[in-house]
Amino acid sequence: MKEAVKEAETHKMTSYLSFLLDGEYFAVNVAKVIEILEVPNITKIPRAPEYMTGVINLRGSVLPIVDTRIKFGLPKIDFKVDTCIIVLDAEVEGETTKVGALVDAVLEVFDISEDKILPSPSINTNYNLDFISGMFRADDGFVMLLNMDEVFSVRDVQLFNNSNESQLDDEGDYGTEMHND
Amino acid sequence: MSDMNSIYEEEVLELLEKLESSLLLLEITPNDDGLVEEIFRSMHTIKGSSGMFGYDNVAAFVHNLESIYDQIREGKLETTKQLIDVTLTSLDHIKRIVKDPDLKDENNDLSQKKLTDQIISIMGEQALQVKNDLIEIKDDLVEKEILSYYISFIPNEDIFDNGTNPLFILDELFELGDCKIFPQFKNIENIEDFDPTKCLSFWELLIATKSSKEELKDVFLFVEGDSEIKIETLCNYNIVEVEPTKSFVTQLNKIECGNPINIEELKKIISDNPVQKNKKIIRSNSVKEFNKEVEDNLTQEKRISSIRVASDKLDSLMNIVSELVTTKASLSLYAENNPTPELEIISENVEKLSRQLRDTAFGMTLIPIKNIMNRFQRLIRDVSAELGKTIDFEIEGDETELDKNIIESLTDPLMHILRNSLDHGIESKDERQAVNKSPTGKILLKAFYSGPNVHIQIKDDGKGINPEIIKAKAVDKGLLSEDADLSEKEILDFIFHPGFSTVNEVTDVSGRGVGMDVVRRNINDIRGSVEIYSVVGVGTTLTIKLPLTLSIVDGLLVKIGSSNYVVPLSVVEKCHEVSYNKLDNLFNKLLLLDGEQIPFLNLREEFKITDGAPKITQIIIVNNEERKVAISVDNIIDEYQAVLKPISKYYKDQEFISGATILGDGTVALVLDTNKIVSKFSEQIKKTEKV
Repeated sequence: MKEAVKEAETHKMTSYLSFLLDGEYFAVNVAKVIEILEVPNITKIPRAPEYMTGVINLRGSVLPIVDTRIKFGLPKIDFKVDTCIIVLDAEVEGETTKVGALVDAVLEVFDISEDKILPSPSINTNYNLDFISGMFRADDGFVMLLNMDEVFSVRDVQLFNNSNESQLDDEGDYGTEMHND
Repeated sequence: MSDMNSIYEEEVLELLEKLESSLLLLEITPNDDGLVEEIFRSMHTIKGSSGMFGYDNVAAFVHNLESIYDQIREGKLETTKQLIDVTLTSLDHIKRIVKDPDLKDENNDLSQKKLTDQIISIMGEQALQVKNDLIEIKDDLVEKEILSYYISFIPNEDIFDNGTNPLFILDELFELGDCKIFPQFKNIENIEDFDPTKCLSFWELLIATKSSKEELKDVFLFVEGDSEIKIETLCNYNIVEVEPTKSFVTQLNKIECGNPINIEELKKIISDNPVQKNKKIIRSNSVKEFNKEVEDNLTQEKRISSIRVASDKLDSLMNIVSELVTTKASLSLYAENNPTPELEIISENVEKLSRQLRDTAFGMTLIPIKNIMNRFQRLIRDVSAELGKTIDFEIEGDETELDKNIIESLTDPLMHILRNSLDHGIESKDERQAVNKSPTGKILLKAFYSGPNVHIQIKDDGKGINPEIIKAKAVDKGLLSEDADLSEKEILDFIFHPGFSTVNEVTDVSGRGVGMDVVRRNINDIRGSVEIYSVVGVGTTLTIKLPLTLSIVDGLLVKIGSSNYVVPLSVVEKCHEVSYNKLDNLFNKLLLLDGEQIPFLNLREEFKITDGAPKITQIIIVNNEERKVAISVDNIIDEYQAVLKPISKYYKDQEFISGATILGDGTVALVLDTNKIVSKFSEQIKKTEKV
């Protein structure tokens, strides 16, 4: 009896949405995903950290957009046809807020059982590992499973705010409007 | 049920607030009969609804209070300070026990007893007989009159089907007064037709009671729908006990069951016998007239005053109006791009209507600042007594209206400021006399419109704030270097610094040093600002500047780089055109406009926008805390009504953007807070200058 329960637990299926970032596969629990948008006009907020791309109009409310690539220590996103915004629920100061994550392309929704999820890698990565809750072996390579609350936690946002202020001054290219064309 | 309770609580709290202000007025004009009447009536209403909602403890407590004011009304008691003190404390007590109706909290129980004792001792001996009996004292004016009624109660034959026992109703009537019941039966032809499940009896009654006709009707509340009920007022004395009708009624008793009362004959006896009437009739008439007058007053009051609307309904109305304003902007844009005469007319009309709708909806969310002033009067009264100071507290312009959300967030800061004025500002009586001031301190709270803003000033004639002391303290706390050269205003600004308090000892009233920085923060949160002005020995004035509303800003739509921004019109002074090259060659960041040297901020530079600088740039002169500052934008597009939307918490470090708004074409424009822009970027200018 006990074993049966255990078996059922280990084989619990979870749905993930996979997407591409700089040629790598990532995935996020679909429970966190609200919708996927094409990239509209993004209004830049002056002097914001570089990964905070700007804000968009989401049916009358203002949605902040995060460049997920910069956030993970990858080069800045390059707007192409496939570039998408994944609208997610994130926990900010104990409140659920919507935030849009810019990704290179959205791939598919898939189910995996939890026993297939491997612990996150400890070496040989060129991106920030704090956000990765596990990984999963797919046909054409590994898929990183993301811990979205961690990615958008305000603690982290503040940390980035401080470290990016100087970076921002150096680059000095803020305020240029971005388009998806 | 909880819904009912919250309605009750809301009503009582509102009445208590009204009572409090009336009481404070009564203290000043103790002989104002109108006020006593008003106080009495409010108490009466509280008692009535408390009884109705089953808050018996509240009702019993208010009843005693009410009796006092009843006596004052009748000239049997004088209003004294002690009385008003007790009443005010009682009101506080009622506020508490409304939340704790069963007196579960021991303190509440204790204070209930203590206050009741105090009240009773004020009333004196004669009041002791007053019991907490609520049912009978619904209306004291009628209470003293016994009226006689004729009631005919013919229940529906099927009344038993829903479990009603008509006898219970008769029992209830019995409790109301002297009652004679004459049961009657409907005719049954054959005993075989008798159906025991049907109610075939009906009743006629004569009742002499203190209750009103309405209350008698209430007894039949649950059978009203399917029974035939007739209630007639017969006379204003006890028909059962008093001649000439007494004998008639006793006669009736002897009549066999089933014969109806000859009501016409009874009426005739009554009208033929004027003996008993004289005095009483007159009185009852005057009472009735008075009642009618009161009722008229009440209905009139209802007609001219307002309706209650749940505040979240108002909020959602405001949201819809905001959406409409946004949609209207899209329509105007579309009409402009696709010019057809019909569309233009429609678009213009929609614009007009939406503007009107916006103004009306805004008007609804505005409430006079008066609503919170009572609390301050009370605070001043209590705190000044505690500190042994006499204060002349004046309020000016309390009809000034503000957004209800602003008013809500304004209470705490104003409390703090007033406490500070009382505690630190106004000197003790001796000190005041020593410097030839009147021993009575003065505090003035003044609200007035100033352009698109509302100003609230708190002015006292106390000792003022000595900038030297503030400076010393700031140096002491390491907030300032000793040789810093600051203007008096800048020094006084340290008052708002967190953890800054110049009083060494902490009093009950203030002095913990958490006050003024919280005040400034709270006021900044509602897009307001606070300034201090003080003259040593003469007094201190604090000015709070507030926007009229939080949700829509009239502004200038401008472009910097490729992004749109909105500059609130309330700060815009003037616009100029200047060639961009001129800005680069500025000496000392000062711009010479209209013969005036004006400090200048190039927003392109501040926002780190490098590409595509225009040849001609627009300069907007804005008011920044009493001085003028020029800011540059690429282009001024139009005047625009911006519906403010919060930008996410992710941008809380970009506090110079007070919100975002959605333009007609669906893109987002950022609303600039020019005061914050100036303070943020001018600091940077200072920093770079030092380097």
